[in-house]
Parts: sequence; structure tokens; C-alpha cells
Amino acid sequence: MYLPCGVYHEKYRQDHAWWQTTFVRAKMIFLFLLLLVIIPQFANLYLISVANIVGYTILAAMGVQLLIGYCGQITLGHAAFIAVGAYTSAILMLQYGLPYPVSIAAAAIVAGLWSVLFGLPSARVKGFYLIMTTMAAQFITVDFVITQYVSKIGGRGHYFSLPPGTITVGPWVIDSEMKVYYVMIILVILCTFGMANLLRTRVGRAWIAIRDNDIAAEAMGVNVVKYKLLAFFVAGVLGGIAGAFWISSLFFVSPEHFTWSWSLWLVGVILIGGVGTLHGTIFGSMFMTLVLEGLKFAFMPLSGVYPQLLEKFLYVKEAAFGLAIVLFLLFEPKGLAYRWWQIKNYFNLWPFSY
Amino acid sequence: MELFVQLLITGVMVGSIYALVALGWTLIYKCSGVLNLAMGELTLIGAYVCLSLYTWGIPFPLALLGTLIVGFVLGLLTERLFLRRLIGESILTVIMVTVGLSFFFRGVVEFIWGTDTRVFFPPVFPIEPIKFGNIVIGQVYLWSFLAAIVLLLVFVALFKYTRWGLSMQATADDEMASLSLGVSVKVVYALAWAIAFMAAGVGGTLLGNINGLNISVGYLGLLVLPAVVLGGLNSVPGAIVGGITIGILQNLADGYLSRFTPGGVKEIAPFAFMVIILLFKPYGLWGWVRIERV
Repeated sequence: MYLPCGVYHEKYRQDHAWWQTTFVRAKMIFLFLLLLVIIPQFANLYLISVANIVGYTILAAMGVQLLIGYCGQITLGHAAFIAVGAYTSAILMLQYGLPYPVSIAAAAIVAGLWSVLFGLPSARVKGFYLIMTTMAAQFITVDFVITQYVSKIGGRGHYFSLPPGTITVGPWVIDSEMKVYYVMIILVILCTFGMANLLRTRVGRAWIAIRDNDIAAEAMGVNVVKYKLLAFFVAGVLGGIAGAFWISSLFFVSPEHFTWSWSLWLVGVILIGGVGTLHGTIFGSMFMTLVLEGLKFAFMPLSGVYPQLLEKFLYVKEAAFGLAIVLFLLFEPKGLAYRWWQIKNYFNLWPFSY
Repeated sequence: MELFVQLLITGVMVGSIYALVALGWTLIYKCSGVLNLAMGELTLIGAYVCLSLYTWGIPFPLALLGTLIVGFVLGLLTERLFLRRLIGESILTVIMVTVGLSFFFRGVVEFIWGTDTRVFFPPVFPIEPIKFGNIVIGQVYLWSFLAAIVLLLVFVALFKYTRWGLSMQATADDEMASLSLGVSVKVVYALAWAIAFMAAGVGGTLLGNINGLNISVGYLGLLVLPAVVLGGLNSVPGAIVGGITIGILQNLADGYLSRFTPGGVKEIAPFAFMVIILLFKPYGLWGWVRIERV
């Protein structure tokens, strides 16, 4: 870890501290102010809605980052666990009238357990074969269990729509973009803090050992199966939280929101952000969402010349996303987080940086 | 019993198309170790190219030939532009590059041809089904089956008896040794991708003839994965047997299980089956068992 000159630790507590210098603490406080006060004050509704999409992507991609970036278990079916979370939360609120926070917690646990169920093959297979089982999780969960059975609970038709006033946190009704923004920012902060601290503990180090070499980790006394399943559980919990947040931001949920493409998209997000870095998740989510929004603006003027372009924008977006992943992997395989590290390093080492 | 035989025959015929596409997949994996998730989009591109050529009035056999040529060129290009840089990269990188390619190809296909279902018009194969006793087989299925079998034989013969086929086998067996014996591994990789594009294109065309062509034909590319996992990833006969097995299984599941569920069994059965295989036979029927050392 980088520390500037003149920082002397006198107690072990200081040495173990998460934010060790005044500069880092000030940076974090500024970040809090920015997220909780400045952005809600000055951003217009469009920016807030974009921020909500970014937040949802962060929450959703965090579980993928944990599995791929920290535990080395490649998953291409994470949308399934987000879907489980979303449906659990929606059903609890619609059928049983539970408050939103309770339904988030329940969604997290149900999605975590569901994820462990599909993580079980990881005890026996790895690499490409594990990818296959996570893909199977995607198709079995979303295309079969949820589409054919779960979405028929209560006879609401193909998708669940939540009437206004259903989603309540204590006395507040979540009904505007701004309130959704606050829910989002609290969930993102809690999840990021939880993950960042979890990765500093014994559990996190065991995951990283498994990622680097599972046989060596086992030889050193890490219970590989237990920690792999734990990773699947925590990833599922994060997915469940993301799913539960999704219904508060959209007020309805349908199996079509959780396609296989979305699973792949999440993996692409962490690759662009940087595999194995928590802030890479955030960079990747921001990059993908903002660049695609920017692409939309770039296409607006062109639509006057070639009007079909606007209705075909979805396909352009898909192709652009694919090309972005390929180009990043070919030319910037360490992702945006590595660039960030280089920039920071440049200033830290200035004037002797090279 | 009649239902069973009917389902079995249809399954074998559709399965032979899967086998054709699975063969292309296995070739890529065997030669270059790339796990290709863009197979579905390769089938889409081939199918749409053939459809366009056919609607311009080119007779079907020539259109199919044109598809093969376009597939060959696209395969060489894809390999040269994207895949060659990835030799020796980690499994996640390689897979995600193919995923990125699949998004890219799908976006391009949707941009050019749209998402509406299109049919080959006028129909390529006669519509009247052929009857054997009580068993009815559509002529489309029969011709597709024959075409797939012929192509499978051609590809296998190519693999077994030609110079390039032998050098592909050598590369699959030991890349370093074949390099030192003067095999051009680059050409082998390029050929593997070209053959995969061609096989996938023909497979997509045949499927498009059966049900009409839209973006969901790309789902075929996913069905290839259970097929190759069943056969073992690096076995050519395994891919063929796996493809046909998946075809049969899908039809049987559709015929017998769909009355117990609200629907969707046909799409799920291959994947559920695959998970069960993986739990008991992680290397498939004829895959190489690799022993890992630290």
C-alpha cells in the first residue's frame, strides 16, 4: 500500500485502519458530500436517472466482480440471481405487503441460497465446464422457473407491476427518481463498504488464494469447496440486492429484464473496469452507461439524415458494446482501473515519475 | 411407439444439423484452444447471407456455395483481426473476446437484416411430407439431414486425408512439436475458423429452411455447447454423436415432458441434461482427461 513520507503508525489499530491518512479521509468525506448532497442538489432529473442506471449496474456487477475477479470462478449467469432477488422482493411486497427493507433482506438471502445451489458443481468442475453450469443456471432459472412458474403467482400476467405506494421505507414512499437515487446511493455505499472490508479479512484472502491457484490454496489449508460456495453465496446476496433495487427504480419486473445478454454485459463491465479491483466495477459501470448515453446523443443529429438510424439504435448499441469489450481486451487488458492507478502513481511520484 | 419413432427420427435429423455446427466448434477448440461463444452469431450470418443471395434469384445450391465462400473469407478475417493476438491468453479473456464478437455480429446482423422472421421464398424444398407407414417426415428435414451428413463426411475426410487436415490434427495434438516440424500453425488456426464459419453458416441455412429465419436461430449456437460438452470438448466423433444426441433428447423432452409443464421444456432440456453429465462425467464421453500439477 502506498503511504507518503511522514506517516508513522504507533499502534496496530492504525496499521490495520482502512483509511490511514488525512488525505484519504478528506477524499472520502468529499465523496460522501458529492454523492449525498451536491449531486442531488444540482443534477437535473435526466442525470439522476442515468445515475440510477449506473448504480444498478454497480450493484449487479459487484457479485460478478467477486466471483470472477476475486475468487476466479467465471460466471456467465449472474442475471439469474438478480432475477431471483427481484422476484422475491416483488412477491413479498405484493402478496404479503412487507416493507421494502425487509423484502431486500429476504431477496438477498433467497438469491444467495439459489446461487449456492448452482455453485455446487464448482466443487467438481472448473474452467470452461463451470462456465457451462452457470449458463445452465441462467437458462433454467430465468427461462424456465421464473417465466413458466414464478411469474404466474398471483395471476398478474406476464410481468409484475407494482402500483404506486407499494414500495415504502418506513414512512417514506419511494415514488420519484430522487428518492430512488437515495435508495441506490445507500445500497451502493453499504455494498461497497461491505465488500471492501470483507476482502481484507480471512475470507477475502482465502478467495484470492483460490483465484491464484486453487490446488496450492488447498495444500495450504484453505477449505476450497467451503470458500467457493461462500463466494457464490455472497455474490448471490449482492445480486439479490441489485434485483430488489431494480424493482424500486422501474416499478415493474419481467423475465425479459434478466436475459443472458445482461449476464454477459455484466462480465463485460468488469472486464472494461478491471478484473480484481473493486473500484474497477464502479469505473466499468460508469464507462459503459455514460458512453452508451453519449452514443445516443451522437446519433441524434444523424437521425435527421437517416431516420431509420434512431429505431435501429439498439442494434448499434449492441454492436458498440461488443466492439468495446473486444478492443479493451486486446489493447487495455487490465481495464480502466489500471489507467487510474497509473494516473495516481504519476502524481504520487511526481516529479520523479516516468 | 409411433410417437417415439417419429420423435426419434426428427431428433436425428435436427441433431445432424447441430452436429455440423458442433463440428466447427470442436475444430476451433481442438486446434487453437479457443472456447467460442460466438457460434450462434456465425450461424446467423451464414443463414442471412444465404437468404439474401437466394432472394436475389440465385439458385439455392449456388447460394449455398456463396455462403460457404463468404463464411470462408469472414472466418479468415475474424481470426486474423481478433483471435491471433490472443494466443496464450487466459480462458476468461479468450471467452470474453468471443462474447464481444457475438454481441458485435448480432448487432450488425440486426442492423442490416432487422429482427422480423423471414422465410426462404419460394420454398427451397417441396412442402409435401414423405410417409413411411405411419411416420411422417417433412422433406425439409430429410434434405437438411442429407446435406448435413454430406458436409460432415466432407469435413471429416478433409480432416483425415488432406495435408491441411493432418497439420490441423498435429497442431491439436502438440502445438510446439508441430511448429518445430514446419507446420504453419497460423494457417491452421485460420483454416479452423474458416471451416467453423462455413459449417455454422450451412447449419443456420438449413435451420432457417425448417422454421423460418430470425434472430432466435442464433440460439442454435448455444445448443452446440451441451453437444460438445457431452462429446468431450476435443473429440470430433464426440461432437457428432453429441449433436445428434442433443437433437434426439430435445425432441423426446418436447414430446413427453411438455404436457407436465407450462412450456419451455424444449429449450431447457439440453442444458439440464448437460449439468447432470458434468456432475458425473466432467470430461464428456471422449474428452481428454487433463491432470493438473502445481
